[in-house]
Amino acid sequence: MRFTVSEKELMYPGHVACPGCGGALAMRLALKALGEKTMICLPACCWTIIDGPFPMHSLHVPVLHTAFETAAIAASGVKAGLDIQGKTDITVMAWAGDGGTLDIGIQALSGAAERNDDIIYTCYDNEAYMNTGIQRSSATPKGAWTTTTPEKTPKFEPKKNITEIMIAHRIPYVATATLAYPEDLINKFKKAKEIKGTKFIHIFAPCPTGWKMAPDLMIKICRLAVESNIFPIYECENGIDYKINITPKNQIPVVNYLKLQGRFSHLTVKEIEQIQKSVDFEWALLNKRSKCNP
Amino acid sequence: MKKVITGNHAVSYGAQLARSQVIAAYPITPQTQIVELLSEFCASGKLNAKFIKVESEHSAMTACIAASATGARAFTATSSHGLALMHEMLHWAAAARMPVVMANVNRAMGPGWSVWTDQNDSLSQRDLGWIQLYCESNQEVLDTTIQAFKIAEKVLLPVMVVLDAFVLSHTSEPVDIPEQSMVDQFLPPYQLPTKLDISQAKAYGGLTSPDHYFEIRAKIQKANEQAIIVIKEIDNEFNQMFSRKYGILEPYRCEDAKVILVTSGTISGTARNVIDGIREQGRKVGLLKIKLFRPTPFEDLRSVLYKAQKIAVIDRNLSFGHSGVFAQEIKSALYGLGAAPPIFDYVIGLGGRDVTPNDIYEIIDNTFKSESPQEPIIWRGVRL
Amino acid sequence: MKWLEKYKPPVPVLQKESDYPNWAISSTSTLLNHTGTWRIFRPIYDNKIPPCNNECPTNEKIQGYIDLVKQNKLSDAYKLILEDNPFPSITGRVCYHPCESACNRKDYDQALSIHCVERFVGDWGIKNVPLAKPIAKHKETVAIVGSGPAGMAAAYYLGLAGYNVTIFEKKAKLGGMLRYGIPTYRLPKNVLNNEFKKLAALNVKFKTNTAIGKTVTLDVLRKNFDIIIICHGAHKNRPMGVANENSDGVYSGLEFLSVINAGKKPKIGKKVAIIGGGNTAIDAARSCLRLGSTPVILYRRTKAEMPAVLDEIEAAEAEGIKIEFLVAPEKVVANKKGKVIGIECIKMKLGKPDASGRRRPVPVPKSNFVLKFDSIISAIGEQVDLTILSSDVAKTEWGIKADYLGRTNVNNVYAIGDCVTGPKTVVEAFGAGKRVAFKISGEEHNIEHKVERPVQFSELNTDYFEHADKVKVAELPVKDRKKNFNEAHLGYNKISVKDEVERCFSCGICNKCDNCFVVCPDLSVIKQNGDYEFDYDFCKGCGVCARECPRYAITMKEESKVETE
Repeated sequence: MRFTVSEKELMYPGHVACPGCGGALAMRLALKALGEKTMICLPACCWTIIDGPFPMHSLHVPVLHTAFETAAIAASGVKAGLDIQGKTDITVMAWAGDGGTLDIGIQALSGAAERNDDIIYTCYDNEAYMNTGIQRSSATPKGAWTTTTPEKTPKFEPKKNITEIMIAHRIPYVATATLAYPEDLINKFKKAKEIKGTKFIHIFAPCPTGWKMAPDLMIKICRLAVESNIFPIYECENGIDYKINITPKNQIPVVNYLKLQGRFSHLTVKEIEQIQKSVDFEWALLNKRSKCNP
Repeated sequence: MKKVITGNHAVSYGAQLARSQVIAAYPITPQTQIVELLSEFCASGKLNAKFIKVESEHSAMTACIAASATGARAFTATSSHGLALMHEMLHWAAAARMPVVMANVNRAMGPGWSVWTDQNDSLSQRDLGWIQLYCESNQEVLDTTIQAFKIAEKVLLPVMVVLDAFVLSHTSEPVDIPEQSMVDQFLPPYQLPTKLDISQAKAYGGLTSPDHYFEIRAKIQKANEQAIIVIKEIDNEFNQMFSRKYGILEPYRCEDAKVILVTSGTISGTARNVIDGIREQGRKVGLLKIKLFRPTPFEDLRSVLYKAQKIAVIDRNLSFGHSGVFAQEIKSALYGLGAAPPIFDYVIGLGGRDVTPNDIYEIIDNTFKSESPQEPIIWRGVRL
Repeated sequence: MKWLEKYKPPVPVLQKESDYPNWAISSTSTLLNHTGTWRIFRPIYDNKIPPCNNECPTNEKIQGYIDLVKQNKLSDAYKLILEDNPFPSITGRVCYHPCESACNRKDYDQALSIHCVERFVGDWGIKNVPLAKPIAKHKETVAIVGSGPAGMAAAYYLGLAGYNVTIFEKKAKLGGMLRYGIPTYRLPKNVLNNEFKKLAALNVKFKTNTAIGKTVTLDVLRKNFDIIIICHGAHKNRPMGVANENSDGVYSGLEFLSVINAGKKPKIGKKVAIIGGGNTAIDAARSCLRLGSTPVILYRRTKAEMPAVLDEIEAAEAEGIKIEFLVAPEKVVANKKGKVIGIECIKMKLGKPDASGRRRPVPVPKSNFVLKFDSIISAIGEQVDLTILSSDVAKTEWGIKADYLGRTNVNNVYAIGDCVTGPKTVVEAFGAGKRVAFKISGEEHNIEHKVERPVQFSELNTDYFEHADKVKVAELPVKDRKKNFNEAHLGYNKISVKDEVERCFSCGICNKCDNCFVVCPDLSVIKQNGDYEFDYDFCKGCGVCARECPRYAITMKEESKVETE
């Protein structure tokens, strides 16, 4: 199996992401798909810092930094401004973390989706507020340690399913992707670029620092997440036509994924069993839902 | 062409004549008619603009900043709680030096819910670097809106055009709506010096360390100071083209006044009549209407006010824990002038309580009769 | 104000207000920010030895030629094999493939059929690649005693280096065990003949029907040639050491095969017992079958201890040949005329291990029984004929005394192959031939690249490989091949070989799969002209590249232990 990925880079090294950062690799691959005629709106998230302090900039495309909750509407505003000036061939992307998408930013995202504004909204999900120091977000999975859900009281609530929320908005394209399948990720961005309307791509981007794992395991963790059905890779057009892109041949037990991360090291056998049950349920539900088009 | 229109519609006409390109607004009483008429303009083709029907005011201001950053002329309108919700992005608009124009209909803040007029909403935002212009009539509203774009684009600071709720926003007056061709001559198309451009990969507004932040902030202040001169110039240019002049301050019968009444907004109109009446009675009183609130025109304020013996400031607002805002501004403008006249701070009309000619008469009368202010805040018309 | 001096801040880059844009507009790239200073470990491209290369007695660059076949560069693959093994069409057919036993793929699904790939390349090369010519000229003359595999390999490399080589062969035709020991259904004669053409092209001269020690002595040879290489193999039949061994109907395995391979029909009965468990025994059994007899193999240990190549044992079983385990001959049973009518055997059981590490067979007392046979083939091992040696050449218990490079105690007299080690395999003989030739031509440093610990399976990242079993090799159906000496295995074709080589992990050696380039979050893997380089100015040492390299070709080295240039 050999990856074929274009060699052109729209990102420079020397950015200040942590070693092994999933979000950094995600941007690198996404830009390979989108090309030079792209503008990015970056709300407050790890990428605000990764981009580099003034006067340095690590991307070869224009970037508008914006306030935490405003990624989607900033992108909509940029797109409207460009369109009214006749510059209609520029792809505008909002690139936000899970906090800026699922929590504080969900209002703007829902508004943009409802208006079907012509933007690509990418959420790179590292499952906590990593930039401010690993506090829990609604994307933190059940049972995970974060600084605001310490080991005695790990996160109780399940992960908010933003993918399904966006599918319910019936926008033209919703997809999940991760870094262990770079060609799939790149293809999804290429596909999104060609569609008019709101496109939402949810990238599973591990954070070795916040998940308390060795940085070199970053890609492996992505693969384990997909092969254990914790993070299914699928897409949905117009909120109705589902397509599951990767069905693991042999589903591996979730414990293989959990045991590599320090944030799950406190889990008991019973808790892991519960997690396995809920993962199995969600996977079965997704499969059923994907066949529901009347 | 003369038309009888409300203050809100005057704003709409102003934004339309100025050829706004991106409008993002969220409805809130008493601003709703602004966006309704603009929607109709867009639908009928009278205005070629993208109207983003945002889901909150915070998003409205963000959209305007973002659109402005790409080089499109952006406009929004709001009031009271909407303005408060936008607060974070108001900081952003000024610090990003985006020439966004916003109409704010002065409405009291809740709780308890109030839709009537007072000035606390816009005055709470006075520290941000926005230019604030207070209007007295629907004609002034329309003219100021058009001028606002030119001012904003010249100094690269956002401009707030302020009008009173209901008293101005929903009251119809005859307004001379200028010809589009003349407005086009006055206001050329928007040219932003550095904008989001595909050919230049830059990042706008990134992480700024203490090594750099201070200078960038100092530039905002410099721009504000520069703006006073620019606003006067543009006011002159407008006068030359449209034969209407407002000035940044409008003194009325102040040259020999013993007492000068300082007002802003629609109260100025009421006050002028009262002053004429008092003058006939023989007392020398004058009116200073403040149009440009921010940046504070220190020099111009001093040149008018220093001659008075007493100054009465009408504040339809209150900075809790201190005193009325306009009074504070006047005091700081006159500080250090040697023998500055005593300043009487009259707080009146909060929550839209009517300010009648009688109230104004009593204010002026009290000022004449007292040597110095009885208290820091002189409450008028409130049942304490 | 001297006391204030020490508090002075550094001079900033942007000096005045007019240096600044209106707001924070960043237009310099992060290339100024050398994040390489963050590193604790650094990745290095570090090719390691795969187990296949490591195990091969000729140290072939197996990973290398498999990779070339993947890229469809068959000519380059062929030439790469020839650097270490001149005769891939032979080893591709008869080698016992220790490379496959070491292949890491066996821990994932099934080992690669390396010898089948080698055969494909060898056969293709014979057809399509012109024969090599000598690359230099040396004035020394070399005499090689014996035209078996050891002699062939030595002759090839010495001929290529430009030496004057003459091979002396006792028999009428060339090849030694390759021709007279291994039957045609395993190694067709035309394949062998084609391989000898390579030697002819290198100006190697052949003197057949010339037995050293009879026609001409070794001493005479030593006077007439600068260098002597003795590789006459092990062809003396080892006696069984049982009564009536010399009865009519008892044959030596080697003799039996030799007759068949010379193209004649040997004397053999209908029910044949073959004593032994090595390749000679198996070859003899399968040959008997093809001549119409019914062979039974009698072996004194179990299948696990049989020294024959497993493929051959299984092929024999597939052809229906019966093997009796834990049975040893006690006595040949002959009739009054002295003709074999049977063999008395004794049951064996396995005791403690012997010198070879295999469990010693111990007779079970009073378990004798008689089996009826009209012929017996003895194939219990071969011995070396040491009588041809000059008196000054040292000997060991089983052969000529020589070291790993073939040096004897006498200058310019070398000995390699079975005549040194006792009966071993073709590939080991090829390896010995290569080593002595490289030693003589001064290429000692190129002989071998082996390590104690080649790449292990646990060091690979198999996430990038789908499970796939070995691609099956085409073979003649059993019913067809039992009746003739046609080649039983038909080898891979262009499509099946491609499918098989795709399974190669390329352990330890970068094959330019691009993984490291794709997964680096710091854009610190630079691709230039198809080669990769780490950008140490920016690499943060996260190690994702090393972890995601499927073949362990990247090592993480501690930064503090790196010598900075």
